[in-house]
Amino acid sequence: MTLETALRLTEIITGFAFAQQSIEHLTSFRSERLLFFPRLILSLLLIIGFQAKWITALLVLSGLAILKYFQGPYNGGADRMSLLIIFCLSLALFAPTPYWQEVALGYLALQLLLSYFISGWVKIVNPDWRSGRALSDVFLFSAYPVSDSLRLWANSPRLLLFMSWAVMIFELLFPLSLLSETGLYIALFIAASFHFSNACFFGLNRFFWIWIAAYPALLWFQSRIFPLLLNNIL
Amino acid sequence: MLQTLKLFLPALLPSWRFFDVIAPSPRIQFTLLNTENENPTKWSEFRPRPEFLPFITMLKRLLWNPQWNESLFMVSCAERLIEHPNRHSEEEILKRIIREYKKNNLNQGNLTASYLQFRLILIQRQDNQLEQTIVFHSRIQPLHRQNVQ
Repeated sequence: MTLETALRLTEIITGFAFAQQSIEHLTSFRSERLLFFPRLILSLLLIIGFQAKWITALLVLSGLAILKYFQGPYNGGADRMSLLIIFCLSLALFAPTPYWQEVALGYLALQLLLSYFISGWVKIVNPDWRSGRALSDVFLFSAYPVSDSLRLWANSPRLLLFMSWAVMIFELLFPLSLLSETGLYIALFIAASFHFSNACFFGLNRFFWIWIAAYPALLWFQSRIFPLLLNNIL
Repeated sequence: MLQTLKLFLPALLPSWRFFDVIAPSPRIQFTLLNTENENPTKWSEFRPRPEFLPFITMLKRLLWNPQWNESLFMVSCAERLIEHPNRHSEEEILKRIIREYKKNNLNQGNLTASYLQFRLILIQRQDNQLEQTIVFHSRIQPLHRQNVQ
């Protein structure tokens, strides 16, 4: 994937994710509507590619205003990823040379990679995750399951043990998917399915859209970095 | 400005430690009171989960999930309140419960209440049992003085 394609795809998917987030606030308090209605307009402009450079800068400012209004992220990691993506995108679009554009998008790709790898690492060093108990606790008493019937999954320790290890192994091995383009497409499909299941079971819909928005950066990164690495090795 | 930058830094250098530890989980309960000095006897969970959620509803929530996301934000506010009591988080929770009351969505029966209070319950596992502890009581908020828009 070329740098230009990756940047444009990131603009479109991020614009969609931001629009989806913003629309959810339009039925809330007046002060929230005042914050999110302009953000919705900016997101739509980003999707159509109108003055993308300045729109991303305004979206960074809008993200900071939202962070200040809620005294922190409204939706935890999804808000943080939103800010990271729009900040890197803005840096890339304002960058004076292609080299600095690549640095900005490369940083986003690296953070996406780390988002999976570190999540896997912090789980596997925890004995509760290795025994399946941590995932059982998520279903048993955390605030996330969207219905009481889902809490019954806590009574299936073997299934949860299998799911815990599947998640940990996938997250830890995710960086290896960079070794081939096909491998990366497969890994991103599995990762998107993982976010999809989190959206269904735990209502984390914003994570699903915003993580996908960072995928073009990683696809570009793989096609940019690995030919260089192979050339150096061979 | 400095405070906003402090909030922005974790987005630029994220820790990505999702679910590293399954921490005790807060629940928000509220009570409606007729007078400021009334002793609360009935506490109700705010937005209890449905027994079952059809898959089609889960799919729709991929695009439209404002109430659930607001509930998760209220959980964050509850966690912040337990860690470092602050007026902002208390206000955020109070104003959202009051808005639900004014829409008659609370199903608590008391439609003529003048005051509202919430409390936070922390749920955690102790060996094989779930343990609940009351960790915070909000101020008693007059309902008619809260402007909900």
